[in-house]
Amino acid sequence: MNASNPDPTDYSAFREAIREFLASALTPELARAGERTTSVFSDFEAGRQWQRILHARGWGAPEWPLEHGGTGWDIQQHYIFLEECRLANAPNPVMMGVQMLGPMLMHFGTEAQKSAYLPGIISGDDIWCQGYSEPGSGSDLASLKTAADREGDEYIVNGTKIWTSMAHHANWIFCLVKTDKNVKPQAGISFLLIDMATPGITVTPFSSLDGEVEQCQVFFEDVRVPVSNRLGEENQGWTVAKYLLEFERGGQHFTIDLKKQLRKLQRLLASEANAAAEDPTFPYRVAETQIDVMALEQTELRIKGSVAAGEHAGALSSLVKVSGTELGQQCAELLMEAAGQGATPWQSEVLSPGYQGPTAAPEECVTTMAEYINSRATTIYGGTAEIQRGIIAKHVLGL
Amino acid sequence: MNEDQTLLHDAAERYLRDNYDFNARRERLANGIYTDPAHWQAFAEMGWLALPVPEALDGLGMGTRECAILAELCGQYLVTEPLIDVIAAVSALIAPSPRGEHWLGQIVAGEMIAVAAIDEGAGRRGAKPSTTLTHSPSGWRLSGTKHWISAGSSATHFVVLASYDETLAWVMCPCDAPGITREVFPTHDGRGGATCAFDTTVDERQILFSGADAETALDAYRELAMTLSSAETLGAAHAALNTTVDYTKQRVQFGQPLASFQALQHRMANMLIQIELTRSLVYAACDAADSDTPDRSRFARAAKVKASTVGRKVSQEAIQLHGGIATTDEYIVGHFFKRIAALESWVCSRGEALREFMAISG
Repeated sequence: MNASNPDPTDYSAFREAIREFLASALTPELARAGERTTSVFSDFEAGRQWQRILHARGWGAPEWPLEHGGTGWDIQQHYIFLEECRLANAPNPVMMGVQMLGPMLMHFGTEAQKSAYLPGIISGDDIWCQGYSEPGSGSDLASLKTAADREGDEYIVNGTKIWTSMAHHANWIFCLVKTDKNVKPQAGISFLLIDMATPGITVTPFSSLDGEVEQCQVFFEDVRVPVSNRLGEENQGWTVAKYLLEFERGGQHFTIDLKKQLRKLQRLLASEANAAAEDPTFPYRVAETQIDVMALEQTELRIKGSVAAGEHAGALSSLVKVSGTELGQQCAELLMEAAGQGATPWQSEVLSPGYQGPTAAPEECVTTMAEYINSRATTIYGGTAEIQRGIIAKHVLGL
Repeated sequence: MNEDQTLLHDAAERYLRDNYDFNARRERLANGIYTDPAHWQAFAEMGWLALPVPEALDGLGMGTRECAILAELCGQYLVTEPLIDVIAAVSALIAPSPRGEHWLGQIVAGEMIAVAAIDEGAGRRGAKPSTTLTHSPSGWRLSGTKHWISAGSSATHFVVLASYDETLAWVMCPCDAPGITREVFPTHDGRGGATCAFDTTVDERQILFSGADAETALDAYRELAMTLSSAETLGAAHAALNTTVDYTKQRVQFGQPLASFQALQHRMANMLIQIELTRSLVYAACDAADSDTPDRSRFARAAKVKASTVGRKVSQEAIQLHGGIATTDEYIVGHFFKRIAALESWVCSRGEALREFMAISG
């Protein structure tokens, strides 16, 4: 677990190749959409366009195995790719397919399922959303009530899912459903892949605090799903989901984005838009945040080193998730203070890739308040900070 | 840790676990023995004092990372002997000096304990000491007073920082030389401190460094001291957390173990998160120093700031989560708290480290 020992392999040529690709493939419009990303999702169309470009280059799902269209890169190359994409402001494609469902399908799917779904995921032709949370089941996910009753070769699905990001753009949803109510909650859950065009599905999008629409509630009324669309065995859905949650939590590199936030902050502080210029305490708080980001970066490197050595990240990924998201919030707060009233104009159209018009806020802080607002969700989704602390208490401290 | 580092760690931990009993330590300190000669001799025999001495000078030639392994264990076992003090002085001030070799044999053998003396009272330990080294036809003379030398009562020699001819010098002084008055006092963290007045003649061979080399040595000493104190703080903080976890599992109130209460579980989870983040930064500071990367000074200061902040918070939480028992001298956890508090301002304070970090970051 030696963090900063230089790797024997020289990655500069690899990095250069990524940079060259980005310089030619990433149009100014796409980079603009990437730069003005205010949550985990960039502008939807920009993200989809970028996924198609990546796929055409063979990089649609770099972390997948070669046989399914992956790259065979090592752990350091994946990191470099991600870092360069972020630094160049590439937009984020909707990631539920590539990052979440893909690994599941490869692990639990039948050959028929793999060949049916993996190609559409990697090409960006299919947009998947995740049907987990329900109005009554958030952190206590296993208490979910959406029911799938077996009827011959079909399940009849009834219930509702909420916080279904991008459901209004998705043509497929992967869902946790109840298939047995008479056993302990985790033992009666199955994992279904459902075509959003199936009769009986209604999607109701709603606005988040920043005024943008990313979240939806999805209603199921007598929705007929072929049994062959079940991933894994009946009532084994919780096992499938746990594997997925590991993917949502692990393998995250928060410091790439944190360092990007700090650079944004430095640009803002050096500009006319700096509202914190007269505050003598501000530079100290920035420095302490920089130190915290350094500590997290070194921790990510330690974990990366142990994962590369074949160890399991385990509860350390909870540690990184808590610190990464809370530090992101801390950076967002510093940006808000530095922007002052310049952060307050709300101008939804500036987020579109094609927008060339004037901005009501100074250029350096057009997205500052939206990012601050959306940063509050980061300690809630993907397992709340409280759930993560519970995992650390239980699995590391043995409490 | 690589294989050698694991061996070093495991052997050192075995010794401390088997021989460094907390109650024996309390008794010894009550009798005014801050450096146990038997322990110091054992440290010497295990090669700990030779760790930072280059192989060319018959040492083990180990790096900062290896020294930090021992520092971390010193924190964990509440070692009162001046190990990090001596390692920092040997590594930065004595071994690199062209005149240092003369003393190294005795130091490595445990017969001589040399620690640096830089403080001159509140906030005065900068690059312009009022202690002076002067030269006249009658010879060299060292004059001035050094305050609050941690473990100063255990030392046989001081390595004194002095002003010399518009610049600096480091002078090796035996504590019992004529013209040296040492006042010793116990410290809250279980050491015998000293304040020492110097008005003494000096042989040229005692001058370890002067001029620009002395300034470079001061930078090196401070940087290593920051990293080692961060490592010792890390070890003490982690031990304080482990003690707290064990205690809350056993202590029953309201009919259940304290550890079953979520409010307390989350606080202990926070302690662990911050300790692991600190660990990453401390090890990174060691690696940066050992591979001599351009960001080594920045990393040392970042580690010092982070370890001080986290050490303070974690050791305070450890007391709070224990309750009343932690406020007694018989119980171990308060001693981690005291050592961490003393380390916070040793050689370089958290505030100094933060300001220097900002200056380097630009």
